[in-house]
Amino acid sequence: MTPTPHLLNYSFYPGCSLHASAREYEVSTRSLFRALRIGLREVPDWFCCGATPAHNVDELLSLSLCAKNLELADKVEGDLAVACASCFSRLKTAQHRLKVFPAKARRVEQALDATLSVDKPVKHLLDILARDFGLDRLAAAVQKPLAGLKVACYYGCLLTRPPEVPDLDDCENPTIMEDLLRAVGAEPVEWSHRMECCGANFTLSRPEVVRKLSGQILGAAQAAGADCLMVACPLCHGNLDIRQEEIAKYAGLPSGTPIFYITQLVGLAVGVSSLRLGLGNMMIDPKPLLKGKGLI
Amino acid sequence: MRLSQATMNLGFVRKVEELSGSSVRRCFQCGKCSAGCPMRSFMEHPPNRIVRLLQLGQFERVLSGRSIWYCASCETCSTRCPNKVDLAAIMDALRKCAWDAKGPSKESNVQLANKLFLDNIRTYGRQYEMRLAAGFNVQSGQFLKDLMLGPKLMAKGKLKMFHDKNENLPEIEKIFRRIAAMRKNGEAL
Repeated sequence: MTPTPHLLNYSFYPGCSLHASAREYEVSTRSLFRALRIGLREVPDWFCCGATPAHNVDELLSLSLCAKNLELADKVEGDLAVACASCFSRLKTAQHRLKVFPAKARRVEQALDATLSVDKPVKHLLDILARDFGLDRLAAAVQKPLAGLKVACYYGCLLTRPPEVPDLDDCENPTIMEDLLRAVGAEPVEWSHRMECCGANFTLSRPEVVRKLSGQILGAAQAAGADCLMVACPLCHGNLDIRQEEIAKYAGLPSGTPIFYITQLVGLAVGVSSLRLGLGNMMIDPKPLLKGKGLI
Repeated sequence: MRLSQATMNLGFVRKVEELSGSSVRRCFQCGKCSAGCPMRSFMEHPPNRIVRLLQLGQFERVLSGRSIWYCASCETCSTRCPNKVDLAAIMDALRKCAWDAKGPSKESNVQLANKLFLDNIRTYGRQYEMRLAAGFNVQSGQFLKDLMLGPKLMAKGKLKMFHDKNENLPEIEKIFRRIAAMRKNGEAL
């Protein structure tokens, strides 16, 4: 039997978190893409993009790590699909800065001892789902509309900022997550903290920062009547899910608000088995909510 | 603050502009950056004042404070600046200058986290969060930090115990070495 041909094909840069703390993001991405017949081929032996710590203290290192990963990705067919908002931002930032500053590009060539090959289009999963695959096709693929599920879409920082880099949506008022959710029948809520910072990698060095910022985000989502939040970044997820009990206690809020990845909610709607969405990897158990809404 | 040729280091402004690729001098102090900064309450100098101090050549005050290490790189300031001052890139440049000077700032935890993160890339090619957290707790002397989270993360399959073999490790090592050599020869910024 020949396998069903793919409708679209991408090379794939999962990023470090997807192999550990964000396991459910990787599991649900692969399940969802298989269900939608979108091919993903992982870039062999990709390595860390350097994330915030590299650009924080050494731009040349940050640009060089990203440029080398883009060179590796060039050998795999298809635009580069990226799941993590931070990897996405670093790779796109490197492409942008290497183009705008030729002197920096020359130094990176020297650091890599090679001519640059960094032009492969880099796309976040949101872009692939909402634009390449398309909202119409997605709506047609829905088997179990997420009716009655009130979701706070949380973009965080790096999917849209700064405006000249990610090229994903408006930098102050994006709608791509809400559009995606409406296509699968859920109800995005209107709320205040869609674009605020969660405290990011201060989770390691200064967790009090995360308690304050993520506490405000959780409180705003709950006040808007959201049943759950949806994110597209492992760091935002870590702060809001793994640290939720702690931040809720600190902010005087109830905990127990599930934090989903985009791929988990869309996967559920297009009929992927709940066993293949990594729901068991989440610290805040989403099953009571999903059972209550008749979704599992 | 007394301003004179002797107390203003204007060469430093040019270095920060070269590193960041952004103008420092174009800022006219509208304060939009600080109004939107989520980390402002943790900083002794809010972002607009950092730029003003730079314009006045007061780099020592900027580098020795903790403000630059409390920037979350959220890019809100760069997004909203009406004069296209890329403050997030300027913060990167300032941290690099402080880092190269072996960190005159008192903010050591953020610098330690950065160092361990970069060491992990060089050693394993990828991040392993448990090693990062364990290394941080030992080296910062906070042995009990997040102790209760470990077993819960383990139970949820969120900690990876063993690292993957990465064929590109020798190539990564070469990149680190070439950059170190370039820096020694004055060829890197």
